[in-house]
Amino acid sequence: MRRHIILLLTAPWLLTLIVFWVFPVVYSFWLSFTDHSVFSSGTFVGLDNYARLFHDKAFLLALKNTAFFVVGTIPFTTVIALVLAMLIAEKIPGYKIFKAVYFLPSITSMVVISLIFVSLYSRDGYLHLLGRLLGLAVPENGFLFSTATALPAIMFMDIWVAIGYYVLLFLAGILAIPPEINEAAALDGAGFWRKLIAITMPQIRPMLMFILVINTIRSFQIFIEIFVMTRGGPVGSTSTLVYFVYEEGLRRFNIGYASAAAYMLFILILILSLLQMKLLKGRQGVAG
Amino acid sequence: MTKSSRAAAFIVMVAVMASMLFPLLYMVWLSFRSETGGAIIPVENYKAILARGRLWLFLLNSTIVAVAVTVGNLVFCLMTGYAIARGKFAGSGVLYLSAAATLMIPSHILIIPIYMLVSKIGLFDTYWALILPFMVSPLGVFLMTQYIRGLPDDCEQAARIDGAGEFTILFRIVAPLCRPALAVLAIQTFMTNWNSFVFPFILTSRPELYTLPVGMAMIQGMQGMGTPQLMAGCTITTLPVIAVFLFFQRQIVEGITAGAVKG
Repeated sequence: MRRHIILLLTAPWLLTLIVFWVFPVVYSFWLSFTDHSVFSSGTFVGLDNYARLFHDKAFLLALKNTAFFVVGTIPFTTVIALVLAMLIAEKIPGYKIFKAVYFLPSITSMVVISLIFVSLYSRDGYLHLLGRLLGLAVPENGFLFSTATALPAIMFMDIWVAIGYYVLLFLAGILAIPPEINEAAALDGAGFWRKLIAITMPQIRPMLMFILVINTIRSFQIFIEIFVMTRGGPVGSTSTLVYFVYEEGLRRFNIGYASAAAYMLFILILILSLLQMKLLKGRQGVAG
Repeated sequence: MTKSSRAAAFIVMVAVMASMLFPLLYMVWLSFRSETGGAIIPVENYKAILARGRLWLFLLNSTIVAVAVTVGNLVFCLMTGYAIARGKFAGSGVLYLSAAATLMIPSHILIIPIYMLVSKIGLFDTYWALILPFMVSPLGVFLMTQYIRGLPDDCEQAARIDGAGEFTILFRIVAPLCRPALAVLAIQTFMTNWNSFVFPFILTSRPELYTLPVGMAMIQGMQGMGTPQLMAGCTITTLPVIAVFLFFQRQIVEGITAGAVKG
């Protein structure tokens, strides 16, 4: 292939890469060191924005909420998805239908899901009624209007939405395990749980790592459900980091300050992803 | 597994399935009910949301955007993938890595610089803002490169000896061989962009340019739009993706697992 042909073929990606990925990453890094806002076109202020963030109650609350969200959803999503994937791999009658239906929430628009759950969580909505029926101390005005229950309610919905996607990924990992291993285990009389711990878990380690990393990256960026369901309320109890960036940057136009918050999030996600990869790398499995 | 534990597993699976279906069925059911809860009204809510909620417009916008972005990705990801997989040039490895690395960038941290960029170049509140940034997806470049690398290149070599140009080889010989991968890419791109909310939301402000998800989020809380009308709009938003899913389930599953297993 001649050089000008290669350039022509790759030009669309090169342009996209430079204009919509590399430039924004660099530009927002620069902005995070300026006081760019409605009142200023942006003078260099060094690390001021970053220093301010550590004293900003709204930012710290968003950070706390996001951490709570991540820690409170990912273990549940992962374990439930793994167990369901193993049951599908066991070919329980109807497994093809289960697999398809579990995936339905994943293909549905997050805005639509959020609107449905706003109704289900509202006063006298079905989930509100169910909570009362189970004798739980449900807030009188519905789950989304109480600082104690709004974030957990959104987290519950997130687990429900996300499971099907990770079932598919786990299933791909499980089906890639050489069948001889499972046959040998069956001959030795290993049961479901024994097989899960002794064979499936070590074999799907690379897939587990991948799932934890992408779910962490996704969960740290939760925004749509917050915007549609609560707008960060009541009293900031559901404000997350991306919601904070949106509020500060695109509503109050504190561009520099919001860019610093976005970069903090970027660095946080990067460190956690690398940490997860390092911790889980260990032995090599099949898929890796 | 023993017979009784298989039966227990079956019950668990059915219970999970019921919980997955319930909110979606609730949406459809509510879309047929009157505001006061009593009567069944088959079309009124749909009429209201389409006409007064201007859902026709959002439906049209979503279709234009999703189709344009899908076609763009098919052509451009094929071109890039072909160049990376077959062109022997110094930067091919770097280009491949650039697509993989971009996949790891949490895109929501870029809402501010992309908003600023799109505003500065005068594309804010235009169709271009909804289409251009998504024309070549890193996932598509990744997928197509992988796929073309796995294809035998005898036909291409023969055509090259016969004097065929690279574009003829790409679109006449390679593209037909890539049909399975292109199908996966097309479906994946269409679904992602149909449901996309964050970027269409921050890059437009005029209702004339709202896509369905943005429109639905904005209609919420509008005067005279109750939950039944909203649910009718949600049903309209969801039906196309459910239809695509029913017809192309295999390709969708492939698209999701391809990146994970091979990467």
